[in-house]
Amino acid sequence: MNKLLTIARQSAWNRRSTLVWVVVSLSLATALLWTLERLRHDIRHSFSQSVSGVDLIVGARSSPLQLMLFSVFHIGSVPQSMRMESVLKLAQHRSVSWVVPLSLGDSHRGFPVLGTTPAYFQHFAYGDKQPLVLQQGAAFADTLDGLYEAVIGAEVARKMGYGLGQSITLGHGMHDHDHDHKGEPADGNTDEHADKPFKVVGILAPTGTPVDRSVQVSLKALEAIHLDWVAGTPMPGGQIPADQARKFNLEPEEVTAALVGLKSRAAVFNVQRFVNFYEEEALIGVMPGVALGELWSVLGLGENALLAVSALVALVSVVSLVAVVLAGLNERRRELAVLRAVGAAPRHVLGLLTLEGLWVTCAGVALGVLLAHSGMALATPWLQQSLGIRLQMEAPLPSQLALAGAVLLAGLLASLGPAWRAYRLSLADGLSPRV
Amino acid sequence: MIDIEPLRFAWTRGGPDTLLLGRLLVDRGQTVFLHGPSGCGKSTLLGLLAGVLSPRQGRVSLLGQDWAALKAGQRDAFRADHVGVMFQQFNLLPYLSVLDNVTLPCRFSKLRRERCQAAGGPETAAQSWLQRMGLPEALWRRRADTLSVGQQQRVAAARALMGQPELILADEPTSALDAALRQGFMDLLLQAARDAGSALVCVSHDEQQAARFDVQWSLPALQQAGVKA
Repeated sequence: MNKLLTIARQSAWNRRSTLVWVVVSLSLATALLWTLERLRHDIRHSFSQSVSGVDLIVGARSSPLQLMLFSVFHIGSVPQSMRMESVLKLAQHRSVSWVVPLSLGDSHRGFPVLGTTPAYFQHFAYGDKQPLVLQQGAAFADTLDGLYEAVIGAEVARKMGYGLGQSITLGHGMHDHDHDHKGEPADGNTDEHADKPFKVVGILAPTGTPVDRSVQVSLKALEAIHLDWVAGTPMPGGQIPADQARKFNLEPEEVTAALVGLKSRAAVFNVQRFVNFYEEEALIGVMPGVALGELWSVLGLGENALLAVSALVALVSVVSLVAVVLAGLNERRRELAVLRAVGAAPRHVLGLLTLEGLWVTCAGVALGVLLAHSGMALATPWLQQSLGIRLQMEAPLPSQLALAGAVLLAGLLASLGPAWRAYRLSLADGLSPRV
Repeated sequence: MIDIEPLRFAWTRGGPDTLLLGRLLVDRGQTVFLHGPSGCGKSTLLGLLAGVLSPRQGRVSLLGQDWAALKAGQRDAFRADHVGVMFQQFNLLPYLSVLDNVTLPCRFSKLRRERCQAAGGPETAAQSWLQRMGLPEALWRRRADTLSVGQQQRVAAARALMGQPELILADEPTSALDAALRQGFMDLLLQAARDAGSALVCVSHDEQQAARFDVQWSLPALQQAGVKA
């Protein structure tokens, strides 16, 4: 075999201009499949890590998935709020250990603002029941003195360069402030709630969940900044200054949703029934795990479509490999005939062809994996920032290896087909190439 | 050394005979000029001599070994050991150097490698044959496809001579060459074959060269003899 290696190497080097494209096309297919599989896995992982220790998410009746996506991932919206009264009722249920109300709708520079109570920092958990940790400062006080205090997520602090004591203002809605508002004020501050600035009092440690991208304030503060607003527009006839706001009743009447923790998980169906048949308001109680399951089945459709497209891409690249190899067959035929004439046996010829198919596909797959990893390394900050998805740059998944293996196998088979044909031809040619 | 017993050969099973030959013998070191019009079966006869083709009837043996008695793999090995071949053109692997092309037979035949050992190893043997074929030393390390057709034929001849195989088969080795070069090339090839002690069977249209060979075979004449037999 050794005597063949050098010939195989030199022969391939001689045809490098075509072989390079075979390797490139294989590597692109591999990179696509590899990245997609990683992405698929990490999106799922990311979603499933985002909420932990919460037994029920309760909100006004809508689809379970919609409620969970909005309250935990700040994606989409819910049609209605739930009454604070109902939240308090729920808290009195004998099986309920804690209730944390959530209020969403405002934003800061594109980061969602979450109105809640200090209990949020105590009870909300992510990953494997890991609690939120304040890297700097403390939670907001929930008193009138600490009305305009905010706790920001790690990504907010990093991206905006905020430290403790930073003054921030909130805007209405979830829009991206970089692109909005024509006729903006001269000072460039476009936030609707600029008259009531907040002070950053705490910065959370990174979690790899949507929490990193959130600004947390108290429910009372959200009431305060909306005092002079009616139905989403500023109240005609004057503003209420920040200090004046403290004199008003700031207890919220409505919230978006509530996170519920139970004394015992066994009671979850009991409490869920209590919520779903609550008489004074149409509510729904969602178990995060069940909603995630629903999410997977929705995502699954898109994932399968993507996977099918990538499989097609892989197929196309394998077919192009066959085409390239077949196109070069006449040149090869002459070469094989020469080898036969100087004493190479058919098994040498077959070995030569197999060897080339093997290393070409191996190189393609290896390059593809390399490509995928550099691509993911480049895309990670963007994914983390815009979607809150953290790609895991660690050991490859079994499913990734299986896909790479499939490409390898397909590539090998594709190169062996023409090789077999070349081999048959070289046998038929005998010693003199009929080309 | 070559012993052809009356044979028939047809390309297709049940088809008409392409070759119908009587007994033919070639001695060690003998040079044979094989000529005839195009398509009369000259290359087919070479294929039979090399054991690539098998006759429908009769026997072809080389060094007392009947080709038909060997399995495919054994035939390949026997051919690699005892037969050197060259064609009209496209004899060389374009991406290898001249020297690497010449030493190729030693990669596949242990016997020829060992014979080269006596001359100081494959590399030295290759250089000596290239010298004998009159190829300038400056070209030895160049890629084979940078050489002219005439130069490439000399390289192919040197390769066929490596390890002094008992038989050299040359299929129209000069037909791609200019008339002016043919004479010189044939001189060198005949002399080198004699030096190597190899028998040479050379197919050619160039009848001017015929007289310089020990034996002349006209294939049409041989065919008629075959019919009578």
